[in-house]
Amino acid sequence: MNSFFLILLILFAGAGLSFVLGKISSIISGTVAFLSIAAASALFFTQIEMGSFIEFSLGGIQLQWGLNSYGYLFGIIVLGLGTLASLYSISYMQNKERTSGFYFNFVLVIAGMTGIIFANDFISFFIFWEIMTWASYLIIIYSGKNVKKIGIKYMIFSAIGAYSMLTAIVMIKGQYDTFLISDAINAGAFNFIDNIYIPILLLIGFGVKAATMPLHVWAPGAYNNAPTSFTVIFSGAMSKMGVLGMGLVLGHMFTADRSGSLTNFFSGFSVIYLQQTIGWLGGITAVIATLYALIQDDAKKLLAYSSIAQLGYITVGLATGTKLGVMAALFLAVVHGIFKGALFMVVGAVERQAGTTDMTKISGLIRKMPFTFLTALISIIALAGIPPLGGFVGKWMLYEALITESNSYFLVIVIFFSSTAAFLYSYRFLFGLFLGQEEKETEQVKEAPITMIIPMLVLAILLVITGAFPGLIFSPIATAMEFIGFKDVTWNMSVLNNVWGNEMNLTYLGITIGVVFVSIFAFITLKGLKGTRYVGTKDISTSGEIPYENENLTFQINFFQPFVRAAAPMYKRSMNKIWNELGNGLEALFNFTRKIYTGNGQTYALFVVIFLVLMLLFKDTLFV
Amino acid sequence: MVISPVHYIAVPLLAAFTIPLLSKYIHKELARIVPGIVLLYSVFVSIVLMMQVSEVGVISEKIAGWSAPWGINLMFTPFSGFLASLMSVVGFLIWLYSYNFKKIEQSQSQKYHILQMMMVTGAIGIVLTGDIFNLFVFMEITAITAYSLTSFYRERDGAEAGFKYLLIGSFASVMILLAVMILYTQLGTLNMAEIAQNAHLIPTPLRATILVLFLVGFGIEAEMFPLNGWAPDAYSQSPGPIGAAFAGIVVKAGVYALIRVIFTLFDIHGAYDFLIYGGLITMIIAETAAVAQTNLKRMLAYSSIGQMGFVLIAFGIGTKTAIIGALFLMFNHAVIKSLLFMSGSYLTYNSLNKKISALAGLGKKLPIVSLLFGLGAFAIVGLPPFSGFWSKLYVLTAAADQNMLLLIMAILAVSIIEIIYYFRVVSTLYYGKQEDEEIKVQKPSINAMVSMLILGATIIVVGVYPDIITHFLNNAADMLLDKASYIQAVLTQNIN
Amino acid sequence: MQNFEQYNSIITTGVYGSAIALILIGLYAVLIKKHLIKIVIGLSIIDAGVHLLFVAIGYIKGGTAPIFSPGNEDAVNKMVDPVPQALVLTAIVIGFAVTAVALSLVIRLYKHHNTARIDQIKSLKW
Repeated sequence: MNSFFLILLILFAGAGLSFVLGKISSIISGTVAFLSIAAASALFFTQIEMGSFIEFSLGGIQLQWGLNSYGYLFGIIVLGLGTLASLYSISYMQNKERTSGFYFNFVLVIAGMTGIIFANDFISFFIFWEIMTWASYLIIIYSGKNVKKIGIKYMIFSAIGAYSMLTAIVMIKGQYDTFLISDAINAGAFNFIDNIYIPILLLIGFGVKAATMPLHVWAPGAYNNAPTSFTVIFSGAMSKMGVLGMGLVLGHMFTADRSGSLTNFFSGFSVIYLQQTIGWLGGITAVIATLYALIQDDAKKLLAYSSIAQLGYITVGLATGTKLGVMAALFLAVVHGIFKGALFMVVGAVERQAGTTDMTKISGLIRKMPFTFLTALISIIALAGIPPLGGFVGKWMLYEALITESNSYFLVIVIFFSSTAAFLYSYRFLFGLFLGQEEKETEQVKEAPITMIIPMLVLAILLVITGAFPGLIFSPIATAMEFIGFKDVTWNMSVLNNVWGNEMNLTYLGITIGVVFVSIFAFITLKGLKGTRYVGTKDISTSGEIPYENENLTFQINFFQPFVRAAAPMYKRSMNKIWNELGNGLEALFNFTRKIYTGNGQTYALFVVIFLVLMLLFKDTLFV
Repeated sequence: MVISPVHYIAVPLLAAFTIPLLSKYIHKELARIVPGIVLLYSVFVSIVLMMQVSEVGVISEKIAGWSAPWGINLMFTPFSGFLASLMSVVGFLIWLYSYNFKKIEQSQSQKYHILQMMMVTGAIGIVLTGDIFNLFVFMEITAITAYSLTSFYRERDGAEAGFKYLLIGSFASVMILLAVMILYTQLGTLNMAEIAQNAHLIPTPLRATILVLFLVGFGIEAEMFPLNGWAPDAYSQSPGPIGAAFAGIVVKAGVYALIRVIFTLFDIHGAYDFLIYGGLITMIIAETAAVAQTNLKRMLAYSSIGQMGFVLIAFGIGTKTAIIGALFLMFNHAVIKSLLFMSGSYLTYNSLNKKISALAGLGKKLPIVSLLFGLGAFAIVGLPPFSGFWSKLYVLTAAADQNMLLLIMAILAVSIIEIIYYFRVVSTLYYGKQEDEEIKVQKPSINAMVSMLILGATIIVVGVYPDIITHFLNNAADMLLDKASYIQAVLTQNIN
Repeated sequence: MQNFEQYNSIITTGVYGSAIALILIGLYAVLIKKHLIKIVIGLSIIDAGVHLLFVAIGYIKGGTAPIFSPGNEDAVNKMVDPVPQALVLTAIVIGFAVTAVALSLVIRLYKHHNTARIDQIKSLKW
């Protein structure tokens, strides 16, 4: 059997099987889910040749599945992270309710994303996109919390996105008579000059999943509401499907040959406008999400906002439309997948072991959960963009692309502001959960089980490796970029070239910092081995007064109070409110339409007679 | 014995007269079983004829040996045959579902099953007949049985719904009768093929008048706004399976009649636009009205009306892809809405009142029924990989071919509304807070379960592999668009 | 002969006119009257009007019954059209059935709501 079918069959069968077996035991169900995803990944990385495809017809529509370099890049994220996250889930979900439904949808989401990667035509793309969407919806509301508020919002926004995508798809079919993505691209569907609506509709569709302003309002709640082991996938891989689509559209738009199109001046102009708009939307997303991340007391919510901010950077990178910018965006996408996956796993481990992710309630977990802390530390370094890890390389490239290639200085300032502010929340995350004084409540906490530690450490190690050798990621990215229209992308294993002629040899940098880092870690550990007196939170006295037991004196409360006070005006205006008001207005309108059905039979009869008379009056104009 | 389309009509009619005798003199239970056997036989006839029709093209039956255009003839074409088969299958499944339905058993189940059988027969008759007056008669048979079934439960407001339905339905019958009458004065024939052939001879204003009368008359049966005041009441007050029958059978017959009049009898351009606009308004009003409903069955009713609006839009676009889409929609609607009504009525039966909020937590108590309801909800809003997606795709593709961007956007905007209210029910079902732990749940009987599972399986199978259906749809769409061959098939049958 | 034709056309006009009048009267009853029984009566009147109209169409001047009999070979040209009559018979039967159902529903409604005014029976709305 063909590998494409086989992979998807394994995944769908795995989903069904884990649903059925989940009635027996959650561990069996989780193992089945893990095995099916692992088997699918193994097949994906070994059995499928790049560029191979199969064609078949379904319902009279020609479909094509294949693998290209661009899809392969995202396949690495999806299946790699999927395998690790499913392994992680086994312990995380161990004692929860309704795990069968969880694993069923979990594997379905993975299957949907794999299908998206395989899809060479819009119809299968859309089908898998929707499977991914509703399966993830079911996971978001799985816990039964906030079903109406968050679940419905997620579904509405997803539907808006999916249906604008569907509109674009049928328009492509109407104009070019093809459902094949490659044919549509060759015919110039993403050109933006000949077609304004198609790219914009597609971008709206992908923008929703990539949580770009102003379509982002579903994201924080949804990321937070989903079980953490799924948020790993949700934030790490699923949001990247939006990036995949945006990259495809924008890449082909910016590299399109417009010589054949009319009105070059204005049309070129309009592309620039679009580019600027998307870039700024990405920038604003990054800033706002970062600001919101700062005021969160919940580690998971903090990471949720942080994810949106990171996706904002990626959007900015894609919108530059230059080789370096897009490369930066894709690089960030991969690295973000790794470190955000690791961070959510960390939060999940804390949640499982300590029972909460509220940073005001727990602290000082470093001694209890050393491996978790290690992962968190490395991931936070990558997240904050501190050399030598991946986040730094990506951001560096992004700044460089913005300054040298697209001259968007203001955007650079915005991004810079947001990534500086990101330091604050990164610090808080690390400090809040792991450092500081130990709380009484967390005395009994133990390290997470081995099946949770392994995926975390794998990701952490990956971060270190890719930090030292970013070329490992550049290599698939460079080939992937050829697929979306950027030719001759140059890259070098572990060397960053910039236009000023400088070469940054990251290997040495990496080794240097690595040595420092390891020695500091060793020092802390050794120091920790010696007996130290641990001080509890309540072990203080303020002006001679001893605080009561029930007073929460944790420094975590109002952590960034001065900063938040300064940024207060920014928090007032919220996109969320605007959408809510729109929703309420529409609901009132809908409530009005049903009043037409008055309940009086005679009124209905009158409607019929009036309608008949009207039709008879206008019959000669209507039916000639 | 040669199977012919007349078996669809003759066998149930014969059975309807003999059932009261059989049940009185032989066994009481026969009143419930015989309709099922008859409907099963209809399914059998459908299978045999569908196999034949793909070879022959058209199967026609002259009643009492009178050739068209003098006698009444039944035409089993790929188009009408498809609908007839659909109706007979859904009709049988509804019988199977309601066989042990507790509430029906408490009432007079003997009448219920006969009426249900006759309703299906009437609808199939509408679809098959080649004679316009005969169509009127079958429509009345369907309507009268529908009135009685609507008001079947005494303790509900069924009588009110039934009376409204009857009031509006009488208008429909008067208009259709008037139209038939004017048509007869002009052409001196009642045979639809002959009318189609000579329709251009009628003076234009008169032809438009006839068309308007037909459109309004059949528009009432097809639940077109503003003619559909009866529909939400009738759906919500009738027994659950009858709601399914309305959605799956009765409305389909109304739409068929509307389409037959527009496509075959009067091929006037304005009529297609009328379908698009009428359908669009129907869809928008009905779907928005559904959002604020608190009663589950009433919500399903509005959703059903909205879906029929969508079907009318699809027919109004009028290209082959659109008609395939429209027929696919009709198929989906028959299957999915039946499933929703069937599972929904178990859900409401087990809730304290019929309110949606009272469904909270039933997902745990009735896992399979809830799962099937969820499946239906997912399918009807058009999520892949369920069957609802394909029909939507076909219609949208057809609209895009005609460059109807606004129409596409309107349809999809309405789909979002649909998602809102369906998902609200599904999430209440699974995640709502239970008010009363102690409710004793009435589990569905095995036959009801089988019936629902068949529908559920159909949704998934067709969704994953739509080619099962599209082959038939293709032929049906060809047949509907090929007016000349229909006329020829009817009028040349007297030679052989 | 002149007289006869005149007489005939008066009848025709009268029949058509009264048919239309019946339909309008029925419509008035259905749309304006609030009492359920009156509405049902209105429906029957509309039906009667339509039936009358239909029969009138089939009528031809000086027509005979559509029966072939010896000594009346001319009948083919003079007989009235039998089809409308057959159709009207069917329609009357249908109308009868509908009226019966309607009346039974009215009884049920009256028992249920204790009123027969249609504007007070509105428990199903919106």
